Amino acid sequence: MSTIAETASRSRSCRRGGVDGWRWAGRIFLVFMLLYTALPMVWMLITSIKSGFAAMQFPPQWWPDEPTLASYQKLLDPQNSVGQDFLRFFWNSLFVSTATTILSVIVAVPAAYAFSRFRFPGRNFLFFTVLLRNMFPAVIFLVPLFILMRMLGLVNTHGSLILTYLTFGLPLAIWLLKGFYDNIPVQLEQAARIDGATRFQAFILIVMPLSTPGIIATAIYSFIGAWNEYIYAYTFLSKNEQLTLPVGIQRFFSENTTDFPGLMAASFMMSVPVVVLFLVLQRYFVRALTEGAVKH
Amino acid sequence: MAHVVLKDLIKTYGSFKAVNNVSLTVNDGEFVALVGPSGCGKTTTLNLIAGLIPITSGDIFIGDRVVNGLDPKDRDIAMVFQNYALYPQKSVYMNLAFPLQMRKLPRDEIDKKVREAAKVLDMTQLLERKPRELSGGQQQRVALGRALVRDPAVFLMDEPLSNLDAKLRVQMRSEIKRFHQDLKATIVYVTHDQLEAVTMADRMAVMNGGFLQQYDSPAQVFAHPANMFVASFVGSPAMSLIPLEVSTANGGTVLTSAEGWSLPLSQLNARKVLGATTRKIVLGARHSTIKLHKSAAPGAIPAKAYTVEPTGDVTFVQAFLSGAIVNISVSPNIAVTPDEHIWLEFDQERIHLFDGETEMALQAD
Repeated sequence: MSTIAETASRSRSCRRGGVDGWRWAGRIFLVFMLLYTALPMVWMLITSIKSGFAAMQFPPQWWPDEPTLASYQKLLDPQNSVGQDFLRFFWNSLFVSTATTILSVIVAVPAAYAFSRFRFPGRNFLFFTVLLRNMFPAVIFLVPLFILMRMLGLVNTHGSLILTYLTFGLPLAIWLLKGFYDNIPVQLEQAARIDGATRFQAFILIVMPLSTPGIIATAIYSFIGAWNEYIYAYTFLSKNEQLTLPVGIQRFFSENTTDFPGLMAASFMMSVPVVVLFLVLQRYFVRALTEGAVKH
Repeated sequence: MAHVVLKDLIKTYGSFKAVNNVSLTVNDGEFVALVGPSGCGKTTTLNLIAGLIPITSGDIFIGDRVVNGLDPKDRDIAMVFQNYALYPQKSVYMNLAFPLQMRKLPRDEIDKKVREAAKVLDMTQLLERKPRELSGGQQQRVALGRALVRDPAVFLMDEPLSNLDAKLRVQMRSEIKRFHQDLKATIVYVTHDQLEAVTMADRMAVMNGGFLQQYDSPAQVFAHPANMFVASFVGSPAMSLIPLEVSTANGGTVLTSAEGWSLPLSQLNARKVLGATTRKIVLGARHSTIKLHKSAAPGAIPAKAYTVEPTGDVTFVQAFLSGAIVNISVSPNIAVTPDEHIWLEFDQERIHLFDGETEMALQAD
């Protein structure tokens, strides 16, 4: 008897030891992942407050002797030509991304609702084709879309980018929102309609507020996608005053020799809207992605 | 309040007929239960009355108005759903106020009506809570409150009690019944639980396969089931249905079993059986009308006990007879053991006879 108990306890402690080992390995792995993702950003921030000379020094200064905000001042100064360009790129990016976001919500909300609630001929086929687009890398569509935009006379307009970003962002947006609407019991709308609402009112007053997390997640997703996109912006736009930030920053600094602190300061400011948006709305985003995983 | 009339109501989905030629009248102030197994078309019928799904053909009257094509909001109805369908983002107060807001009532009147309804349902202290902070019973009350706050012509209820636990269900059952008596409300109540229908309704409409099987008072449905389905659906435990054949013996009419025994029929029952177009007859008997003997008795049929279920004040015995399960209730002081030989005596006055082919109850005409 005692031997059985002993072996059992030993095997149990062995197993616990094994679990602990794995847990520590996991933690170390996570620490490495954290450093891997965070260090470049920290380095970006540190470089942005160095002088041009300090940025090129080797061995590098981990913390600059004379931290300076000169790069930021230059970029944000509307009197300076560098500042004028940067602010214009920033504004262009903001315009394109915001327009993409608004349009994608306007299209995705009713589309997702229709996929979720109505049975119509070709419903499954249509839903599949919506997802089909996401099965190919974006670059494949570069040339065809460029030709299409030229035929439409949209090359060198922000409209070409907004349209393109919509075609990329909408599939996931519709798919995400459909999951949301699937989870809202249809009886809520029926109750609202019996209580005196039209079908549209039931949607606006009852269903829309319940799907806010999904709408916010959709919006963040479209905004970030549009904000960071490079290759299409690079191909479709050639006029300096129309460039968006990713292309603008790259072009702008290779023309004026490489000003690393300036480049890093610009990169940092480019990431600010995305980070702020994400921090403010992240709980909705997480909820949206996990919604429907468990039945409540 | 108003009456509701369904006339030749049909709803089809493709080739599937969910509701098949249903006609019935719900009188003003009457409590009618639509009852049947799942998929029998009762909820579809309710949704047709509510206008949540379009009818294929037929007519629906609420009051004297044909409402066939009207939106749910224009039908002057209120509905209580199985899952309550409370608006999760709104407080109890706003849930109750919503139907009034949609009808654009002045704010002070809305406030007055909401507080009145809350008082009736004893939830004044819950008005500021969100639905998810309420217990199942409280949610169900809010759902009821949202229906009664605006005085509709008809109340529609779709299995409102089936999400509650057994004890609460019994309590809410009497509350809804009381609510009907106080308000003299016209109520159409869907349930799959025949006991709810029998205990609450003035009349019950038994449905199966999209067809209305019988529409009568619970007492009549219980005493004179129109066919075998109704007979087996209403009452618990179910009525025993034993397939037999008619023959003549010694100048009298008897029902014979493939097992070899036979049951002589009374004159009235013989007339019923002889009026049938088939020799196949199904004998129906409720558990309380069958007498159990522990030894052979004149007119009693031998059988073997299968299971014995004591419930306290009555013991249910199941036995096989002619291939069918027979339920018998006996006093708990009669001890029966499984596999024991027993003898069953049928009460000629209280047996039911059905046509074995059409499954309809046989009448003596």
